[in-house]
Amino acid sequence: MTLGTWFALGVALVLAAEFVRALRQRGLRQRGERWRRFFRHRTTAWGLGILTFLVIVAVAAPLIAPFDPNRQLDIIQLKNQAPSWTFLLGTDVLSRDVWSRAVYGARVSLGIGALGALMAVSLGTLVGAIAGYYQRWVDAVLMRGVDVGLALPRIFILLMAVALWDGLPFAALVIVIGLTSWFGTSRLVRSEVLALRQQDFVVAARALGAQSGRIIFRHVLPNAAAPIIVSAALSVGNVLLLEASLSFLGIGIKPPDPTWGNMIADNAPSIYSAPWSTIVPGLAIALVVMSLNAVADGVQEALDPHEREPA
Amino acid sequence: MLLRPSLPSFVVIGVITIIGCERRGGCTGANCGTLINAAVAEPGTLLPPSSEDIVANDINEQLFLKLADVGMSENTLGDEDFQPLLAQKWEWDGPLTLVFHLDPRARWHDGAPVTAADVEFTFNAYTDSAVGSPFRPKLRRIASVTQRDSLSAVFRFRERYPEMFYDAVYHMRILPAHLLRPVPRDQWRTAAFGRKPIGSGPYKFVSWQPAQAIELVADSTFFLGRPGVRRLIWRFTPNLQVAVQQVIADQADIREQLVTPENVERARATPQLSVYTYRGNVYTYLTFNERSQEDTTKAHPLFADRELRRALSMAVDRASLLKSALDGLAKVPPGPMSALLWIWDPDIRQLPYDTAQADRRLNALGWRDHDGDGVRDKNGQPLSFHILVPTSSVLRRQYARLLQEQFRAVGVRIEIDELEPSVVNQRVATGKFDAAILSRSNDPSPSSGIAQTWTRAGFGGSNFGRYYSPEFERVVDLAVTAASRDKAKPLWRAAMETLNADAPAIFLYALDNVAAVHKRVDNVQLRPDSWAAVLRTWRIPPDRLIDRDRVER
Amino acid sequence: MTVAAWLLRRLVASIAIIVAVVTFVFILIHLAPGRPCGGRDEIVDPTICEQVNRQMGFDRPILEQYGLYLVALAHGNLGYSFSLRRPVRDAIDDTLPFTLQLAGVALVLDFLLGLALGIYQARRANRLPDVILGNVTLFVYSLPTFWLALLLLLVFGEKLAWFPVGGPSDPVLCPVIDSAFCVADRLWHLVLPATTLGLVGAAGTARFQRAAMLAVASQDYIRTARAKGVPERRVVLHHQLRNALLSFITRFGLALPFLLTGAVLIETIFAWPGMGRLGFEAILTRDYPLVTATALIASTIVVAGNLVADLLLGVADPRLRVRAAEDLDIVTA
Repeated sequence: MTLGTWFALGVALVLAAEFVRALRQRGLRQRGERWRRFFRHRTTAWGLGILTFLVIVAVAAPLIAPFDPNRQLDIIQLKNQAPSWTFLLGTDVLSRDVWSRAVYGARVSLGIGALGALMAVSLGTLVGAIAGYYQRWVDAVLMRGVDVGLALPRIFILLMAVALWDGLPFAALVIVIGLTSWFGTSRLVRSEVLALRQQDFVVAARALGAQSGRIIFRHVLPNAAAPIIVSAALSVGNVLLLEASLSFLGIGIKPPDPTWGNMIADNAPSIYSAPWSTIVPGLAIALVVMSLNAVADGVQEALDPHEREPA
Repeated sequence: MLLRPSLPSFVVIGVITIIGCERRGGCTGANCGTLINAAVAEPGTLLPPSSEDIVANDINEQLFLKLADVGMSENTLGDEDFQPLLAQKWEWDGPLTLVFHLDPRARWHDGAPVTAADVEFTFNAYTDSAVGSPFRPKLRRIASVTQRDSLSAVFRFRERYPEMFYDAVYHMRILPAHLLRPVPRDQWRTAAFGRKPIGSGPYKFVSWQPAQAIELVADSTFFLGRPGVRRLIWRFTPNLQVAVQQVIADQADIREQLVTPENVERARATPQLSVYTYRGNVYTYLTFNERSQEDTTKAHPLFADRELRRALSMAVDRASLLKSALDGLAKVPPGPMSALLWIWDPDIRQLPYDTAQADRRLNALGWRDHDGDGVRDKNGQPLSFHILVPTSSVLRRQYARLLQEQFRAVGVRIEIDELEPSVVNQRVATGKFDAAILSRSNDPSPSSGIAQTWTRAGFGGSNFGRYYSPEFERVVDLAVTAASRDKAKPLWRAAMETLNADAPAIFLYALDNVAAVHKRVDNVQLRPDSWAAVLRTWRIPPDRLIDRDRVER
Repeated sequence: MTVAAWLLRRLVASIAIIVAVVTFVFILIHLAPGRPCGGRDEIVDPTICEQVNRQMGFDRPILEQYGLYLVALAHGNLGYSFSLRRPVRDAIDDTLPFTLQLAGVALVLDFLLGLALGIYQARRANRLPDVILGNVTLFVYSLPTFWLALLLLLVFGEKLAWFPVGGPSDPVLCPVIDSAFCVADRLWHLVLPATTLGLVGAAGTARFQRAAMLAVASQDYIRTARAKGVPERRVVLHHQLRNALLSFITRFGLALPFLLTGAVLIETIFAWPGMGRLGFEAILTRDYPLVTATALIASTIVVAGNLVADLLLGVADPRLRVRAAEDLDIVTA
């Protein structure tokens, strides 16, 4: 680790902390009650801070990583080195710097998580909204489809679908994960839409002859935002865990590019002599999933008026 | 402070109590003993001609006998070094006829005697295309096997060559004709016999718990002497690391292959284990496909070029890769061979590791980095290819990454395709690949394996890269028919040097086998070509028996 | 709608779902590259491959294969596994009990531990124990199961040697379960895999249960009960717990897919001879009949689990019946 990378790391930390603090204060001043509820638990602020930090790290990876993540520094002298000041988190079995790989891995892993979740949640929202809004046979067909999706052992489907590509490209992984992860969200959105549909403002809009698409997007979905946001946050975590599991079973992003999942998979055989190279990416995943859950809790609290804790 | 007992602690105490109360006593004496083998795969069938996998072979060594077998010297020429098994003795009746006299004491485990009819039946089954035995090509030079009387079997050969005896005895395990005759030949792969075999070997089959274990018990009346260990259990674990852990945690006694330096180190540090090193029988190599992926009659756009293959070979520092990944547990093979083969000779000429020369040669071929992206190109095409690796092999995956970096340093881009073994299998067998990291195991004779994998005879078979050199084939033919090792050795060496100069593949590593076996076991002999071949001679002295040896069940 | 009619409708729908699952998996596995052949790792002679394919009928048009498969399935025939060289039915019969044992123990652990923690936390909401436990459960809930499995195996299996390293039973003492000792032995071998699987679930259950109980606590009738001076213990047991249990039953249906997915990884790591590992290896060897059959069984378990959850829900609270199941289950999915 050079002075420059330490400095960059420090800046990233300060930026993340400052971002959360600013968000909180401005939000409290301008938006009031909801923001207060969002930030009521300290864990939410922490979660948000950690996520912000990791996103900054991912974006600024070249500044924060002291080494090229794929460079095998010295395959004989420097493999499986324990953590030190030079190699903050040690090196892996191929003498690559674990810290640099973890930092660059954040890019791919968070990217897969965000894109996969985005795809899953968009699809789920769309299907759920259509089913809930049009009801009747549209609803029946779509929801039976969802039943099938939920009954399928997902890991089987992923293993088989992934096999359709030779040496999986990034986009394919995102698509496959997205296509198999939307079922839950669609059910959730559907039931929200079903409830909202009966509400006065929707009935009024329909009576005024507004188009269905417009009603769904302008009136219904914004009011179903809470569960959608929550489910998006949780999806990101699920996708991360899924990527890791797939990597462990030997399927994932092509080498040498690091993801947290394939870092665990590649180094699991040397867990006895060099545990750091397996433990670090696992903790990174846990940290992100944890933060996302904490943020989801905050969102739920802020946006969902039913669930109030006793004073 | 008093501990408040809770439900979980009751459960734990209860379990410990029950385990503690396990009956003691049981078997004592010289022929007790239970050995648990931590195996990493489960066999498909135990019917010998149809079983391809290594674990099935290990178990079948105990259940079925060959007529005779190679000795610890692994000499495959002539018949002096062979040990009698089912055949008590043999004699040559003219240059092409070999007569085996069966041991009259030999019995099938159901009590029936082993006869020459069984030998004849076995040969016919192994060479029947309906059975589809992988050993069939190796028996092609035997014309027929017949019975002279109930204890004499006559082998007739098509030609005379140094390894006639080896071919007659090594590939076939004698099968019980009276039990297998009723089974249609095209259903042998799936026959019920394969899950409940009856043999004539030192151990009898007891049970097969699917996905868990196979148990054998010693035949105390075995005609070549009572086996030293009473019970053998093969325990299946899908994961090498867990298998190694089981041996280290004293929940298993044998792991015949530790594979990685790290595992060897852990086994050495484990008090109840002894570590044994023996010659390996597998070599691993990166093979270049010399034919087009679309059409095996056309040339591959890159690897049909001998000069390019040579330049790429020179760019790989095999010694360093070996040191990094295997650290003294393997050797760099001087050609397509494992250390098991007697033709192994580190002085066989190979292409040197020389990046400067590789660079010069690539430049001379027109592969230069014209656009400055770090990857060489020619006519707008980057110098880039895919390496196929099965996801199941930790070591080969690691090597793929090491190679990727080595090639990157000389401006060659590698894409690693890690695919399931079944997909790799299919693509390699049908020629749909650029390059692949493959492993092959040798039997103790160079003649069959090398010819099958590196000559035209292996097209459509195991010569996956379709390497062809008339000169190489000419010399191999001479070497195979040479009468003695002294005459054959220089011929093999010349053949290997021809092959190395053509660089059809980069020979990466030949593992030394390192086994971990429980310390209490005496007389541990591991024969390199088949470690379990003489398991029946292993002993556990009565004063070293542990609980699992004494258990009666 | 009467209960019988409702049940009938659900049954028919369930069967339709399962048939759809089978169809989908059937198509997907046949589209996947790689050819069904012999074993796992070795390169099988292409001619043997062709022989196997011909014998098994894999060279026929896919529609014909599908038709034949459905007909066989209707007769209760799951086909023949060429990689295991035995009927699929036998392989499933051998492995399913192990998966059920693993999932069952994990489920019990999940619910007992999760419920206990959730209730404890809810009763001390926002005080120190709750905050600490909240963070711990959040952390555990976020761990990749297979990673946890590797660590547990390393620490408790090898380093401390407290528990057996993989496998379902002691191969010497208990190759088959035929005594109380062997039952204990099996449980002993279940500790690590079931803990790995159950712990992550328990953390989720605890979080869910805590939230559900707090949600109920703020409702009017609980406040009324408290105001009327009903003892706190009774409030918790009778009102809060009972209502929270309703939402909890739906979690039961949801836990199954999670457990089955986790089982694939856990069974592989702990050498557990269950159906998850069987299915995974079947995919690797492209063993079409075996893949389809494991998917069929797994989805049947999931669908049946949901059905049972709905039934229980109906019994527990007649008002809720059908709708609650559909609304509640996703919150935690």
